[in-house]
Amino acid sequence: MNSTRSLWVFIVLALLAGIGVGIAYGWYVDPVDYFDTTPDTLRADYKADYVLMTAEAYQVEKDPGLAARRLAIFGTKSSSAIAAEGLAYGRLHGFSDTEIAIMQELVTALQAWSGIQ
Amino acid sequence: MRRIPWSVLFALLLGMGMGLAYTWILYPHPNTDAQPSALRADFKDQYRSLIAASYAGTGNLPRAQARLSVVGDASPIDALNAQAQRMRAGPQTFEHADQVAALASALGAETSGGAFPTPSLEIAIAAGNTFTPTSPSSLTDLPILDSETPEFLETQAIVMETQPAAQESMPRATPTPTLAPGKPFTLMGQENLCDPNLPDGLLQVMVLNRSRRQLAGVEIVITWNAGKEQFFTGLKPELGNGYADYLMTPDTTYTVQLARGSDVALGITAPTCQSPDGATFLGSIKLTFQQP
Repeated sequence: MNSTRSLWVFIVLALLAGIGVGIAYGWYVDPVDYFDTTPDTLRADYKADYVLMTAEAYQVEKDPGLAARRLAIFGTKSSSAIAAEGLAYGRLHGFSDTEIAIMQELVTALQAWSGIQ
Repeated sequence: MRRIPWSVLFALLLGMGMGLAYTWILYPHPNTDAQPSALRADFKDQYRSLIAASYAGTGNLPRAQARLSVVGDASPIDALNAQAQRMRAGPQTFEHADQVAALASALGAETSGGAFPTPSLEIAIAAGNTFTPTSPSSLTDLPILDSETPEFLETQAIVMETQPAAQESMPRATPTPTLAPGKPFTLMGQENLCDPNLPDGLLQVMVLNRSRRQLAGVEIVITWNAGKEQFFTGLKPELGNGYADYLMTPDTTYTVQLARGSDVALGITAPTCQSPDGATFLGSIKLTFQQP
């Protein structure tokens, strides 16, 4: 009786240990490979660089509507909010003063543009 | 001798299977750190297009190279050229297609001529495999236009002449069909071809930069007494990125020039040729424009 009970305890413990090992392996050792992803899944630094590229293009084009369309691929947030997130990231991670300045200009332009819309 | 605890081993394996099923099927690890190389093809196009637009604004080729390296194209130049072709065929404006083609041309010129200063190129290459926009070595150290050396600026001037879209940070000049001062392109060759295998009255135009590299996306303006049309190089990449053609009407005299400014080819008329069996047919004309 006692040995049967302890066997069930071992079985349950082994089951839990197996689940833990399986989850750790599936999440950290060999996670699912994603492909054909959408831009909202990009790593934060790539998102910030995307905002920076939009700001650099905006310096020449001066078209907030076009800049907003470019940023719209990140999803449902407003373009100015997306640009502001990129700006905040740039401030925290050592973007140059010039880059911060043009990103700030983009944020301001998008806020004004979205107010007009 | 102790018996192997099969039931415990089975429970362990079952648990591992359940754990893997949970993480691989039911609830995969949220994907929040994807690289641009994992993007869907249409989003990659947008990413490249924005890199080209940014390059058109800053003229910073090493940074554009570093950014392209994370998109995961085997050949960024080929990918850009192909995208430019798709954009021209689609609803996008020619201006944006021209930006993409301009970046491809600049990369091509850079790889063939090595015009940029070596240190900047090394930065771009070093940033290529481990590009992290937050890293000072990849972004903040790459020169932007304001801090470029005179040598770099001089090189940029060459790129600007090659593709007007790739200009420094000022409003880009829109290509106009007027003859620009300085004639950036010269009519280097005009020859009549009597090849019965070619379509009758075919006008072939080849546009080259100063290093004799073919230029895609160059607008060609052809006028005659009753009208005017535009056509572009690069729409038949199998014949060359700088190639364009137009079917001339018999007994019509045309004038041909590049929209961004060039010598004017006057009095272009399809020649009359004779085949070996004595039959006559309309021949072709080949014009070659090149930057001096």
